[in-house]
Amino acid sequence: MISFFIKRLLLLIPVFLAVSMVIFMIVHLVPGDPIDNLVQINSTPEQKAALAAKYGLDKPLYQQYAIWLGKALSGDLGDAIILRRPVVDLIALNLPHSLALGALALAFSTVVGIGAGALAAIYKDSLIDRTTMTLILLGSTVPGFWLGLLLIMLFAVQLGWFPVSGARSWDALVLPVLTVGLGGVALVARVTRVAMMETARKDFVMMLHAKGVPPWQIELRHVLRHALLPVVTILSLRIGWILGGAVTVEFVFARPGLGSLLITSLNQRDYPVVQGSLLMLAIAVMLGTLLGDVVQAAMDPRVRERIK
Amino acid sequence: MRFTTKSLILSGSLLASAMAFGPGAAVWAQEATFVMPSDDVGAPSYDPIRGTKLNAATSLIYDRMVIQDADQSFHGQLATEWESSDDGLEWTFKLRPGVTFHDGEPFNAATIVWWVPQFAGTENAFMTDAIESVEVVDGLTVKFVMKNPDPNLLSNMSSIFMGIPSPKAYDAMGADYGVTNAVGSGPFTLQSFTIGQETVLASNEAYAWASDLSENQGPPHIKTLTLREISEASTAFLELRTGGVDMLLSVPTDFLPQLEAEDSIAVGTLPGTGIFYIPINTTVAPFTDIKVREAAALAVNQKEILDNLFGGIGAEANNFLISSLLAADVDPKLNISYNPDRSNKLLDDAGWAMGSDGVREKDGTKLQVALWTQNGTEFKRVTEVVQAQLKAVGIGADITVFDSATINDQYRKGNEHQLAVRSYSWANADIIDWFFAGSRLGYPNVSMWNDPKAEELNKVAMTGSRTWEERVANFKAYHEYVLGQFVFAPIYQPVQSYAYSKDNITLPKTVRGTRVQSQTIVDITVN
Repeated sequence: MISFFIKRLLLLIPVFLAVSMVIFMIVHLVPGDPIDNLVQINSTPEQKAALAAKYGLDKPLYQQYAIWLGKALSGDLGDAIILRRPVVDLIALNLPHSLALGALALAFSTVVGIGAGALAAIYKDSLIDRTTMTLILLGSTVPGFWLGLLLIMLFAVQLGWFPVSGARSWDALVLPVLTVGLGGVALVARVTRVAMMETARKDFVMMLHAKGVPPWQIELRHVLRHALLPVVTILSLRIGWILGGAVTVEFVFARPGLGSLLITSLNQRDYPVVQGSLLMLAIAVMLGTLLGDVVQAAMDPRVRERIK
Repeated sequence: MRFTTKSLILSGSLLASAMAFGPGAAVWAQEATFVMPSDDVGAPSYDPIRGTKLNAATSLIYDRMVIQDADQSFHGQLATEWESSDDGLEWTFKLRPGVTFHDGEPFNAATIVWWVPQFAGTENAFMTDAIESVEVVDGLTVKFVMKNPDPNLLSNMSSIFMGIPSPKAYDAMGADYGVTNAVGSGPFTLQSFTIGQETVLASNEAYAWASDLSENQGPPHIKTLTLREISEASTAFLELRTGGVDMLLSVPTDFLPQLEAEDSIAVGTLPGTGIFYIPINTTVAPFTDIKVREAAALAVNQKEILDNLFGGIGAEANNFLISSLLAADVDPKLNISYNPDRSNKLLDDAGWAMGSDGVREKDGTKLQVALWTQNGTEFKRVTEVVQAQLKAVGIGADITVFDSATINDQYRKGNEHQLAVRSYSWANADIIDWFFAGSRLGYPNVSMWNDPKAEELNKVAMTGSRTWEERVANFKAYHEYVLGQFVFAPIYQPVQSYAYSKDNITLPKTVRGTRVQSQTIVDITVN
């Protein structure tokens, strides 16, 4: 198991280098100049050139990349051009908000999604199955932006239970978590349902029935456990998305977060922040995948066997 | 079943807990929460000297030498009197006595001697470029010795970037100034600043030097003021509606009907500071022909856009400057207004005959042009209407939407754009120089206009005026020439709107200033 973990970790090094290069190049290939956002009306071309030199934007790209990567590996992501702070500080300011929102939304998606998927699988082709899956489908097709506003209208404006926006108190998290979490419920529920139905056709399940084990015990203790393997894969892939993909929800609820930081910086062409944020999200995806692999190996002896 | 029951119990518990604690949005006595204009979101610092983007809280932390009323008139804030020599080469300012910074440091002539040179080498240097040196006449009088006459000096001095910081704090904090703390002499002191989220200010209880634009000459009535940054207008509107905030310092025009329908909300307007317009690329056919440029400009129905897109709120734009500027008062014959008959005639005269598909043709070439715009609902809607209006006179237009950062790089290519829908916000006639000077082709001179006579008029307007009156006359001449060349088409002049909870706060009868800033906010009381 430890050797598996080390092997997977080592594999991440070339992936990290490739991703860092892609991030750097994409950011610089996008049209737009951060200096334009810095200069005032009436600034001279000389002032622009001086600013470009100040931020190292006048150097060749390969030099800029080498400098950036070297610093990034030592934990220095540079200083934001527009926001005038160390990028690490900006990420540190926003990451806790993204982690809180992402973790709770992921937990919500997992609990509700697995529950709904299991319910639909146990009562497959019944009214319960069809109703559950139809509701989930409807919920998942509503855009997050609109769903957020609907939830605000209902729970904040009409009922007054939660604040409309902000990140000042714990209750301000409830509506954003529901908005982000509902989007993941459908995915988890569908994967759970299909996996449970496939597992239910396996020989060992037949044998359990033949041995007279109660059906609810077979479904929840044996079938669901086996069906969770693909769900773990899906959830591990969603970790990166949850951290950076909640940008519309962050905008609607006026919350800080990595997604908002990334989009704002992208609009301002604040290269160091964009690169730093993207790198953080890429690392989150890589670690999420690693975590998924490890959990799968822990859950499934066949995976461990394959490693050996 | 077990999972569903658990999730239901969990959800119920969450909701019950939320009900017990509530949203905590109640307004406490002498405390108020405002939402900053969405344009202010993300301002990185409160450093007026080196900053290039500042937000609404800046005018509350810092005082300026002079400030402007809505009619563009100047009023003393830290300066009580000022005069310029006849040749415009000396300005003398008398400073207000008894002013102290938030850190207790005194404000006096020495402050100004330190302050002006700080701008050298910064992005804001242009505002003090004309000042050769600052001399102390006495402890509360300074003389600016000018390199050249600059009648725009008072306008520059009233800019939000000319808020005066405490020299001691500024020097001590270095690059962190404005990021970790900011020390001015304004009616509020900075308590906390979370970039992109909120700024919390406390009343400066020593404040006794408000300008004559404020009724309240003492400390602000609001003791703690939170200024929140909310990008999404719908969210800001719902916060105001639920009492989560007390005032929106800026409201998009399309939200005004909904706000006006609320009994507890009052809405007010101030003159706008910008214009929507269409730059016309004068270097790319068919707009190399002035007749085609004029035809395109006259095809824009400003009234239709004002009435149908903006509900009649704001004003038609018929030239390049906001109407409160004196240089906007040009010869009425030169103003550009909707005239489809003349537009059609000009196109006929230029040889563009109407085709069977409603798009004109000349020598087998369709009059089909590129119409660029940037993302944002207002821009897209205006651009779509402009497209239809151009089509009505036989000009086909293909819309391309760019994001706001990319589009400037596209303009710089110089020959790919033809028409674009843009806007600016700047309450000074020198905006004509910024967008039409031959030295800035591509961007910001999107019209790619480089004309010897215009350059001559530009030079006179920018550097050849000794007095304010001369400057107005020179800019008016430059403006009129630009108008006559049809290098752009004016569209719309927005107003600035604000909204507040009548139940929570009371505003003075008249909101003074070019925006809702310190001169008004010190007068606001919490109900």
